Amino acid sequence: MINLKIDLRQIWHRSLSFKIAASYLLLLIILIVTLPILPLAYQPNELDLQYTFAEPFTKGNGAWHWLGTDVLGRDVWANILYGAQSALLVSFPVMLFSTSLGLVIGMSAGYFGNDGLKISRATVPVTLLALFAIFYYGLYLPLNFYKLALPSSYIWLSLLALAVILLLLYKVLLPLLNRWRYTAANILLPLDYLVLRFTEALTSVPRLLLVLALASFMQPSVVLLSVIFAATFWTSTARLARAEMLKIKQLPFFEAGRSLGVPEAHLLIKHALPNMLGPVIVTFTFGIAGLLALESTLSFLGIGVPGSFVSWGRTIAGIRSNTSAWWLVVFPGAALAATVWSLQTISYHLLNHFEERKQL
Amino acid sequence: MRKVSLLLPIFLCIVLSFCSQPQQGLDDVKVRLAKEPENLSPVNFTDAQAIQILNLLYQSLLVVDLEEDKLKPALAARMPDMVRQDSVTLFTYEIREAASWPDGTAVTADDIAFTLKVLKAPLLNNEQMKPQVEFIRDILPDETNPKKFTLVCSGYAPEMELLTGDFFILPSNLLDPQGLLKAIQVSELSDDLSELENNKNLKAFAEKFNAIDFKSDKAFLQGSGGYLLDNFVPNQYIVLQRKQNWWGSKLEQSHLVANPERISFHIIPDNTTALLALKNQQLDVLGNIPAAEFDELKSDNKFAANYNLYTPDSYEFTYVGLNSRSPKFSDKRTRQAITQLLDVNSMMKVSQQSYATPTASIIPPSLTAYYNKNLKAREQNISQAEKLLTTAGWTREQDGWYKSINGKKTQLTIEVIYRAGSTNFENAALVFQQSAAKAGIPVNVQAVESNLFSQKSKVHEFDMFFRSLSGNPFVFNFKVLFHTSYANLGGMNHTGFGNQKSDKLLDAINAAATTEEKAKLLKELQTMLYEEATFIPLYYQKERIAVHKRFGNAKISGLSPNYDVSAFTLKN
Amino acid sequence: MLQYILRRFLLSLPALWLLVTFVFLLSKLLTGTPGEEQMLQENGGYYSKGSTESRQLVYRNYLNRTGQNLPLFYFSIKASPEPDTLHLVYPAHHRTLLKKLYWQYGNPEAVGRYYQSIKALEAALPVAQKASLQPYMDSLYSTTTPEGLKAIAATPSPSWGAQASELTVAATHLAAQQKSYTFLLPSFRWHGTDNQYHSWLIGVIQGNLGTSFRDGRQVSSLLYDAIANTWWLMLASILIAFVVAFELGMLLVMPQSKRLRKVLLPSLFVIDSIPLFLLALLLLVLLASPSFLQLFPVYGMGYHTLTGESWLQRAGVLSQYLALPVICLTLSNIPYLTNLIYRSFSEERKKDYARTARAKGFSERQVIRKQLLRNTLLPTITVLSDALPIIVAGTISIEIIFAIPGMGRLLVDSVLARDYPVVLAIVLVVAAFRVVTYLLADIFYSLADPRIKHAAS
Repeated sequence: MINLKIDLRQIWHRSLSFKIAASYLLLLIILIVTLPILPLAYQPNELDLQYTFAEPFTKGNGAWHWLGTDVLGRDVWANILYGAQSALLVSFPVMLFSTSLGLVIGMSAGYFGNDGLKISRATVPVTLLALFAIFYYGLYLPLNFYKLALPSSYIWLSLLALAVILLLLYKVLLPLLNRWRYTAANILLPLDYLVLRFTEALTSVPRLLLVLALASFMQPSVVLLSVIFAATFWTSTARLARAEMLKIKQLPFFEAGRSLGVPEAHLLIKHALPNMLGPVIVTFTFGIAGLLALESTLSFLGIGVPGSFVSWGRTIAGIRSNTSAWWLVVFPGAALAATVWSLQTISYHLLNHFEERKQL
Repeated sequence: MRKVSLLLPIFLCIVLSFCSQPQQGLDDVKVRLAKEPENLSPVNFTDAQAIQILNLLYQSLLVVDLEEDKLKPALAARMPDMVRQDSVTLFTYEIREAASWPDGTAVTADDIAFTLKVLKAPLLNNEQMKPQVEFIRDILPDETNPKKFTLVCSGYAPEMELLTGDFFILPSNLLDPQGLLKAIQVSELSDDLSELENNKNLKAFAEKFNAIDFKSDKAFLQGSGGYLLDNFVPNQYIVLQRKQNWWGSKLEQSHLVANPERISFHIIPDNTTALLALKNQQLDVLGNIPAAEFDELKSDNKFAANYNLYTPDSYEFTYVGLNSRSPKFSDKRTRQAITQLLDVNSMMKVSQQSYATPTASIIPPSLTAYYNKNLKAREQNISQAEKLLTTAGWTREQDGWYKSINGKKTQLTIEVIYRAGSTNFENAALVFQQSAAKAGIPVNVQAVESNLFSQKSKVHEFDMFFRSLSGNPFVFNFKVLFHTSYANLGGMNHTGFGNQKSDKLLDAINAAATTEEKAKLLKELQTMLYEEATFIPLYYQKERIAVHKRFGNAKISGLSPNYDVSAFTLKN
Repeated sequence: MLQYILRRFLLSLPALWLLVTFVFLLSKLLTGTPGEEQMLQENGGYYSKGSTESRQLVYRNYLNRTGQNLPLFYFSIKASPEPDTLHLVYPAHHRTLLKKLYWQYGNPEAVGRYYQSIKALEAALPVAQKASLQPYMDSLYSTTTPEGLKAIAATPSPSWGAQASELTVAATHLAAQQKSYTFLLPSFRWHGTDNQYHSWLIGVIQGNLGTSFRDGRQVSSLLYDAIANTWWLMLASILIAFVVAFELGMLLVMPQSKRLRKVLLPSLFVIDSIPLFLLALLLLVLLASPSFLQLFPVYGMGYHTLTGESWLQRAGVLSQYLALPVICLTLSNIPYLTNLIYRSFSEERKKDYARTARAKGFSERQVIRKQLLRNTLLPTITVLSDALPIIVAGTISIEIIFAIPGMGRLLVDSVLARDYPVVLAIVLVVAAFRVVTYLLADIFYSLADPRIKHAAS
């Protein structure tokens, strides 16, 4: 942590673009944090109906619309600020979650391969049963209770049932089965195969189908979208991490470490992870950029994003009803581009720095 | 670096070689479709796009002449004779002498009977149209004249005349050369059809009929209309070619014409792209132009040199439905208060600019004979709304309005739903949300997926919704919308309007013999609807259409598709 | 090697099957069935076209005719109080009522009796009374709580006839016979091979993807048309993007292009930050509009001028129409690729073998082109194998904006119209293509870097 601080200071002094990017992001974060106390003349969802499609620098009903208004007279400046808030609040957690998920899955697939992981025979049926229980009591029943508007105490009941069943399965059934020689015997888990096939499968399911399928159960919401994004964005990180892991596994220092009996966790975290950090950071920042763009594309297509959700994409999509309203694209588009650019510039410099340190 | 500098000129050369623009066929009308018609089956079409194209290929007995917005005979020689008997109504038609199929054979009563069988039979792909002709129970051919026949319809409704003439007539020779359906009678095709499902002839016919590709099969997509399908490229364009020596053009009837040599329909999903294509003169006709863009086009001189712009009053209106069954809105005064919060002018402005007409009733203001001018258009009046709420028993507290309903203290909150993807309704709902907030009523605006939306309105699970409906200038039967017999779960009277008095009025409107009587009764209904405030029409919109200047006689109308492409004549 | 490829391929088949099965079941979770909206929805405005009852009858017959009334899968697992014929109950609000009652009371017989008694009462009511009793009848279809049932049992007056007293009995019976919490027990039901999934799967195995619900065309020919349109567009843009990205990457890694790096990399980031639909709109407005530069046609893929010409001429015309979308897609792909390639180049450059090569007197250019290229291929392969399936999957926003009838649009339209056979076929084709590209990627991996033993898989 201390290292990182020193590193950052070093890069700061060396590069102008890093300075600009970092200050921009810092400024953005400060703005987002102080949003509730900022003296903004308009709220993002406030309509100024006398001034629809107002050009920048129009004096509206009360205060100035510095950056113009959209079809409903919503102030573009307020929407850019609140849009930044929603963009970062959605994309960072989603990307953090999906990147770490991807790293764990990809690294273990690359490290264990198809013959590195052994489990007892009994674990397989027990896990399958547990999965079924989770599906039935954790998903099917609560969803139906929700849909049928049954008392919420039923949901707690079914979750309780789930907990009891899981406890029974893993604390009673599994130890019992492990007493038999046959069921206790170890089998190889082809982890690499499973992970590869699973990522292939997941990337082939159109995201749109997922969004629509879930939207037919629940109202389209930001949380729902985030869940879908998080559940589908990890695949590229996983594949990259797996590929890098395969490369690292073959490196002499790693093989030496394994033969010396260094603990697996230590090897992976202290030696493998730093080695693949470069490509992963690149995918992370590009992933954030992709998410920001995807959100606005969904707004553009009118799928899955609720209309009350303040976002840059919503403002940009407003151009569709009036192509001459350039301010709807230019300002939020610039904010989007600047944010993405800053993220990428920072990651670029961090990466360079890591590499240089590695050389020493 | 060298390589890049070499690549650049090559790239530029390629780019510049593209400068040539697609050539214009002068007598080829290019029309934009926003989506491809799902199918072109004359008995199972689903969308407006299909109707527009089918109207050029096939004909029905009657047709709406867009020039005068009036119902006129098409295949029929004149309007039908109607006779009302106790439980049935008889419509007698005669087919035009000259009417013939592309192979030269005449259109006869047999073809009408065949078409009815195809529409009503089980096992066939005809589900979309089947319910619409359910009321036609039988066809009685005239013994002396093969071109004359009588349709037997159950009961009576004012729209029956229109509906008996509103299905495309199919050539029986072409589609059923073996006469498989000859043995089946139209009268057998009502009520219980389970027996017929095992009919050998019908099964054989169904197998053949359902296998026809009613989208691109030129051999089968042939009717008595003025055009033939020439080329169909899925999701790109559909080209129709004028028939040589079409029988209709010899009649010199202004509503039976086939003027342009070719008509091509181009499928362009995105509005911006379509607009650019129009500016590039790649299109001749574009409808549904976004209001802001339309204003822009109006002031564009270069554009005005090539295109005419039209804004006919359409028969489509946007309305608000309030659920009068909900305890919160069961008091008339509460509903009236809510109508005072509808800022119709702002709603029109944000979604239609100035291209709409505010309306106080369901009848379009352009139909001056029927429109009740005494009703005042809705306008926002917050203090009036607050007054009405107080008289309805609501009390203002710090965070909103409260009232004790069934012994429970209830807050006045409104959930507004609309069909997801409709920007106009979304904008209108947001405008309402803002006005309601000023009056202290929290409003939650929710886009609902289309299937779910119709489900919710059918089972009355809503507070308030925004929707649109389209009407016409010839038939006024509002029973389905407002009669209490349709107010049950699943019925079409979503808002729960109606009492015995209004039911009687609705029946009287249908029975009215003269225009004056009808106008009087309709005006009474309008007043009642206005008072009750469950079904609140907001505005009738205007269509926004551009047509290339080289064509004249566009027959611009408020009725869909708003222009008659078959009437376009090339100016010199 | 060949054996390995074959084995890998066979091993991916079960995954493919699982995926398609998953999507089959998932797609049936969507509310609504094909045609439901148009068939059931009367747009009653100034008059109505057909009654609600006849529409519902037609719709049910349609479901029967197209086999959509059959069970979905070989078996179903449901909460035990819910009978598996529930989905055949129409209209929808009856179904909702029944489902609520089943779950709440856990007693199918009592619920069935109660439901029948409601229907009997509704049918027996004289027309004159119907209007005044409408609110009561509505409440029958929406009440599910035990207290509500008691109220219902108390309301009917004997003057309504025998049906009313039966309703009272049935309601009291139901309220008394409540078997709560039976839903905690899942019940497993076997449906046999007469199910929707089975008939679909058998068709697919025999090479028949079925017909579209919308226009009755063969799904395979629909897919063929769409892929034929998407294929060249995507292939061209990916190839161009890769070539340009490699050239740029090599250019950037040269020591003398430090300046260029400073300008180019940030501007690539900027391009990358523009959403694709916006880029497309921008290019369209700038390059195909009479108000700026009119270089390209706006939309489509050419219009019936193409008959009778040689394929070269046709390709010429087609390329004119596809130029703008290709530029769009290429621009959107270049930043990510260039960055990645540049990064691996600069990493490889610092390695020993590159230094050795430089020491041997190779010029920097030669070192990069001859020595480093091979090693930088490795990360690129992953990216390429990720990008390739787009060739068949298409890009929705580009296809919509440029009016190109490709796979992306086909998918969106089919999902929105609930045209399952088409949706499933698209998923199947894209997934199969993906399996193949991943397989190819693995092979190239082992070719590019022999240290990775393919036995690992």
